[in-house]
Amino acid sequence: MTLISVLMLVAVGLAITFGLMGIINLAHGEFVTLGAFALYLSQGWQLPFAAGCLLAAGVGSMVGVILQVAVVRHLDDKPTSMVLATWGVSLVLQQGLELLFGRGGKPVASPLQGTCSLLGVDYPAYRLMLIAVACSTLAGLFGLMRRSRFGLDIRAVIQNRAMAEAMGIDTRRTFNIAFAAGAGLAAFAGALVAPLGTVIAQMGVNYLANSFFVVIVGGVGSIAGVVAGSGFIGGLVSALSSQMPPSLAQALVLICAVVLVRFRPQGLVRA
Amino acid sequence: MTVRTSSNEPAAGSPLQSRGWVACWATGGLALAGIGVFVDGYDLSMVREALILGLFAMSLDFLWSRTGILSFGHAAFFGLGGYGQAILGVQFHWTAAQALPVALGVTTLVAALFGYFLFYGKVRGTYFTLMTMALTLVCQQLTISWASVTGGDSGLINVPGLVFGRDWLDFSADTPAFFLVLAIVAATAWVLRELSCSRYGLILQALRDHEVRASALGHNANLYLLSAFVASAFVAGLAGALYVCTAGIVAPDLIGPLFSTEVIVWVALGGMGSLLGPILGAFLVHYAQQHVSSWNPSAWPLFLGCGFLVLVFALPNGIFSLWQRLKAGGAAVAASGRRREGASHE
Repeated sequence: MTLISVLMLVAVGLAITFGLMGIINLAHGEFVTLGAFALYLSQGWQLPFAAGCLLAAGVGSMVGVILQVAVVRHLDDKPTSMVLATWGVSLVLQQGLELLFGRGGKPVASPLQGTCSLLGVDYPAYRLMLIAVACSTLAGLFGLMRRSRFGLDIRAVIQNRAMAEAMGIDTRRTFNIAFAAGAGLAAFAGALVAPLGTVIAQMGVNYLANSFFVVIVGGVGSIAGVVAGSGFIGGLVSALSSQMPPSLAQALVLICAVVLVRFRPQGLVRA
Repeated sequence: MTVRTSSNEPAAGSPLQSRGWVACWATGGLALAGIGVFVDGYDLSMVREALILGLFAMSLDFLWSRTGILSFGHAAFFGLGGYGQAILGVQFHWTAAQALPVALGVTTLVAALFGYFLFYGKVRGTYFTLMTMALTLVCQQLTISWASVTGGDSGLINVPGLVFGRDWLDFSADTPAFFLVLAIVAATAWVLRELSCSRYGLILQALRDHEVRASALGHNANLYLLSAFVASAFVAGLAGALYVCTAGIVAPDLIGPLFSTEVIVWVALGGMGSLLGPILGAFLVHYAQQHVSSWNPSAWPLFLGCGFLVLVFALPNGIFSLWQRLKAGGAAVAASGRRREGASHE
């Protein structure tokens, strides 16, 4: 459940930007890492946990804006160049963080200790809080997409970019905001997940791979698709990981995703 | 859309058909043979290693330039070939001659299955690139964690050399190994060039330029793309097996995403679509990597990352475009570069 909710937060940015402009950002995993490092720093400064998470989201969206202005904007009609350039950025960020903070894992303290008893099963309290926060964030996002003017713009651009532009929607602006928001959400997820393990510069890569699976399996550009994809991929990873080594579980998930694509090329949920 | 011939775009359209390509192929081969005769020891093994990496780069170039599909996980096939060879040799004590067909068979089979599900699922373009990246990530995780067979993080050592049963087929020493590698690379370059210029290659090009139209003409797009993917993976696996046999070791680096993306730099730097340019790219980047890594091992990915940005923004057509740009003036080449980008990603 924890993995599913984290995946939802990470993948939603990827799915929306992919749906909006057909663009894949390979540096998306690094936003998770940035968020985790931001939380680590904020704990060094004795900030409360919630402030750390907000700081992480802020840092994430700021780096997202910089990436968008410096790199992504110039390449939005060249998907291959985009993949290469964002991969370059991801390598630079990863290695830069490693040079700045050193190689070893950074410990991050959890704000909630102890366990809660839920239906007779003991569950760590922090994980419950994480799931609640992630679900409410996503619900808020869903409301924004359905009810607000901006959400309407986003949905219009995803359905037909040229037509949306003809109707007077500033697609570039829509995309900029969505990109920054997606980056911020990924960083937020990174901060949330940081207390569950150690923070290292390479932690983003695994989230990146799983978010791809989520987007590909779930379908592009809809929150429902992200939820379905995250449920499928995250559930599968958690279920298999308890039975076998995690990397074998990951391999089986890849196989499942590949086979599923063959039979449901549009994803589980159509946009 | 008519298939472009060399008369339309003399420099960029089809370098493979020109006489210059044959001249480069021949002089390059002779120069390397000269190196093989006059150089030995460590320097020769460095050249041999770079040549094998060039073979790997060539396999990616064939797929990328002919079909327009970029594989972000080609090291998975390089690594499968290499690990197949190493596991059979070290854990099961097979000779190189026995292990090679099995290793290549496994590589081809994995590529065929993976490619079947994706291509027949109508997965194309960026989607496909992502799935290949996931493949290489998973392969690396598997090799690291399955330590009892693959040796885990440290890999396997003492892989049997290239001995094929008889005395005169013993290629395990430095110089014979070099000439065998050179012969294989030269032959593969020739075969891939013939494939690219044949009817088969033209159909691939038509599918790349406009898949719907080419399919409407009756070409089975899925099958053609799958076959090109499998052929490319086969060559990558061959390069991996050769690399592991000649170097004697295999490590998880050879199957991971970083290596997969390095090879893209070689191809992009050397110039995509020329088959020989990527070999040069492999030489240059590999040489640079040796220097950077001996200075600070963790600095290399940083350089690689910056290299990607430079390639995308400053050198979209590889280093040879610098020379072309000097010759033709910046504007014309930049315009043709944009046009080509647009055509290959349509």
